[in-house]
Amino acid sequence: MTARGAPAWLAEFQARFGEMIRMPLDRSSGTLAATPALYPQSLVKDVQNGPQTRGEARLAVYNRQYWFRLFEALKSAFPLTSRLTGYWAFNEYAARFFLSHPPRGWDIERSADGFEALFADAIEDEDGRRRQALVEAARIDAGFRRVFLAPKTASYRPSSADATRLLDGRLLPSAALQILEEHSPLLEIRARLVRDEVESRLELPPALARSRWWALVGRDHAILQIPLEAREAELLGLLGAFSIRDALARLEGACSPEERAALPAKTGTWLAQSVERGFWSGIRFGE
Amino acid sequence: MKPSPEASRLLDSARGLPEGALGVGLRILHYPYIIEHTPNVDYFEIVSENFLGPAHTPRQRLERVRQHYPVVLHGVGLNLLGTAALDEAYLEALCRLADEVGAPFVTDHLCWSGAHGESHHDLLPVPYVPELVEFAAERAYEVQRRLGRPFGLENLSSYVEFRSSTLTEWEFYTSVVREAGCWSLLDVNNIYVSSQNHGFDADAYLAAIDFSRVLQVHLAGHTREPDGTIVDTHDHPVADEVWALYRRAWDMGGPFPTMLEWDARLPPFPEVLAQLAKAREIR
Repeated sequence: MTARGAPAWLAEFQARFGEMIRMPLDRSSGTLAATPALYPQSLVKDVQNGPQTRGEARLAVYNRQYWFRLFEALKSAFPLTSRLTGYWAFNEYAARFFLSHPPRGWDIERSADGFEALFADAIEDEDGRRRQALVEAARIDAGFRRVFLAPKTASYRPSSADATRLLDGRLLPSAALQILEEHSPLLEIRARLVRDEVESRLELPPALARSRWWALVGRDHAILQIPLEAREAELLGLLGAFSIRDALARLEGACSPEERAALPAKTGTWLAQSVERGFWSGIRFGE
Repeated sequence: MKPSPEASRLLDSARGLPEGALGVGLRILHYPYIIEHTPNVDYFEIVSENFLGPAHTPRQRLERVRQHYPVVLHGVGLNLLGTAALDEAYLEALCRLADEVGAPFVTDHLCWSGAHGESHHDLLPVPYVPELVEFAAERAYEVQRRLGRPFGLENLSSYVEFRSSTLTEWEFYTSVVREAGCWSLLDVNNIYVSSQNHGFDADAYLAAIDFSRVLQVHLAGHTREPDGTIVDTHDHPVADEVWALYRRAWDMGGPFPTMLEWDARLPPFPEVLAQLAKAREIR
């Protein structure tokens, strides 16, 4: 299908309008303000003054809407990260992100793709623990997002043919599975944010005595959050990277002698539960 | 103008909804209430783009709603007035979704939303000139042909008018719908918002509408900014002035299906239902 009949001036008009709409909002006054003086003059000249406002001010509605819509989209994709960072600071990271990664598709949800990496690189002025917590928060938000956006995948159930050579196969993690570690109770906080309309920055919670592991898995119309033992999480990671035989051997190699004694019973249970819970989408042999 | 009996029959078939049906825009925060209470709503309208991707969770939730209610599709990403070719993959996904949910019709906006490879995720205006009537009509015709079902265009709320326009907004809008042979999604709040922002007569706009082409009417709330500009925010109850305009539209072209959009600062669902009750009472 071709765009027959699009007049040449329309592309030029849209380029000027696009330049105006993407103009960064000024932060120097302590609020996010449009700067109409910087808009392309050829566009401004074509805009009529309104009953109450000048043409530039009317264009500024679109300029502000562009940014606030993207800020909202990113906050909604990263609810925990944005509240812990504080909206004012978070919006600055967001602006930086969208200036370097302007949205390209029709799906605004996908405009947040890649933010986690930029955020981890860009965090400034934070002490070590706070920085680690913010990076972890972004990883948790991104994990929920990946599970939410995952396509439908059939869960792997070993066939009778697979059973005889199961140990030589590598399990393929479901697209709707994420394994997450937290050093502060961040997932609890995230769960409380769903209907929280408060906008103030959240204080960082105290660190946990030891980190906790979770599996997020998409099931029907919900995302299940399943607690894991640390070694169980480690095994799940290894299973996705190596054959079952190698994964079990590597886990065993990492364990203390005391842990090793209880390992066969535990790994059997973990493996069976992981299949039962739909963590895998298939198995690959002969790699 | 009121539809003739023949146009009414055609219209009823295009709408595929009960006469005077009252619907609501489906939003994630309302799912639990809707699933638990199966409220008295004639149909739901979904934002197409929320369900076009491969994500399974939203589709599962939608399926649960669809088991109890008719669903119509309302898009924001068609980019009808963009200069790039219509997005084949997007249209294909839209066709698939419409088939899957059995949508009686599909709608989007008479606007552009991106250019030069970038998406602005907004519903943006153009100068209203005859040259763009032809351009938009050709593309809307093609979209309707591809969809194989009625396709409706929504009138925008806008904050700017261009000196280069040679047509009024309603001349532009009705001409595109007529020349494309497609349908209207008439947003009464948008008419009010634009009439206040640009100082035109909202009743003159309504008088130009061919109600025999109106698939449904939208209602929504708006926000008045300190400088007097009204912004189409969908975050308040419907304003009294918009209810009054709705009543006049009903007298001119009713009955028609009516859909309430509430997108931000979402209230509990019973408050949304109260707005539907008000619509029923007013008309």
